[in-house]
Amino acid sequence: MNKSFYTIFKTFFKVGTMLLGGGYVILPLLQSELVEKKEWINSDELVEYYALSQSVPGIIAANISVFTGYKLKGFIGAIAAILGVITPAFLAIILLASLLQTLVSMNIVQNIFWGVGIGVIMLLYLATKEMWNKSITDKFTCVVFITTFIMSACFKTSPALIIICAIIAGILYRSNLFEHLKKMIGGENDLS
Amino acid sequence: MIYLNLFLQFFHIGLFSFGGGYATLPFLYHMAETQKWFTTQQLTDMIAVSSITPGPVGVNVATYAGFTTSGILGALIATTAVVIPSFVIILIISKILEQFKSNKHVQAAIYALKPAGCGLLAAVGIDMFANNINTPGMAFLLLLFFVSKHKKHDPLFYLGVSAIFGILAGFLHLTT
Repeated sequence: MNKSFYTIFKTFFKVGTMLLGGGYVILPLLQSELVEKKEWINSDELVEYYALSQSVPGIIAANISVFTGYKLKGFIGAIAAILGVITPAFLAIILLASLLQTLVSMNIVQNIFWGVGIGVIMLLYLATKEMWNKSITDKFTCVVFITTFIMSACFKTSPALIIICAIIAGILYRSNLFEHLKKMIGGENDLS
Repeated sequence: MIYLNLFLQFFHIGLFSFGGGYATLPFLYHMAETQKWFTTQQLTDMIAVSSITPGPVGVNVATYAGFTTSGILGALIATTAVVIPSFVIILIISKILEQFKSNKHVQAAIYALKPAGCGLLAAVGIDMFANNINTPGMAFLLLLFFVSKHKKHDPLFYLGVSAIFGILAGFLHLTT
């Protein structure tokens, strides 16, 4: 199978064009394009890249494209894949944004945006719910959720700072140091 | 100078946003509040447009925000900046894949990062809800909520019916 810069770019361009409404549809899209049609990678590899892409910062679609591109043709493949997946997004927005700047003064367009603003809140609710189901599994994750929410909603803390705090909290919580503290606190409780 | 600032701001979004899909929004929301490049109202419009255009929403919103801030060049800079961290991080991980997967600190960080990403997004949702909704809007949102309880729908479905509701509400003068 031909794995040139151009074919990799073209394949990811196609995937980028078909990505609509959130990154969650990317898995079935890549399954069909890369695993079934091109046979560049197998299903297991794809699922692994997807899981890893969710475990690191950044936009998932971009992450998974770099993973697959790198696997196919090293550094060049990674560049081809990421350029391919973001170009349709870039072009579509440039076209639409220029158009909207002229349309936005129209009453009907403003009304549409007013309505769509409510739809966006609904989408945020659905996205939050989906993340909740995947991430809140025990007391610790629940505490992290509540703390993050309060820091962000009430104190307007920078999200980057919150993310850094979460990383530190997670590592401390799972480290032996914390186990030790828990034993100490547990020990005190036993005495009382 | 604005270009350098734009680059740095979006680079930091790419580096810290965690949780996919709408994960970049808390950062953009914070950006709207601190940088004054665009308003939170404009951001809501950007999210709506990004959800109906091809491509990852995070990239769409970055392009849109860059474009709103300083035209085509701004769009190019914001888009590039937001994906550079992904590119570098994944290249590094690809080289040390096995160590990365089994590292217990990595596992611990991910374990805490997931609920943090969720909490950040929930905060944005609540804030938007508090700032943008009037009584007819609230009634419509409740309706959408009940629809979602019964059947799973595509994001496009919600944006489509919301757009129609917006037009109707405009005719009935319910939007203020």
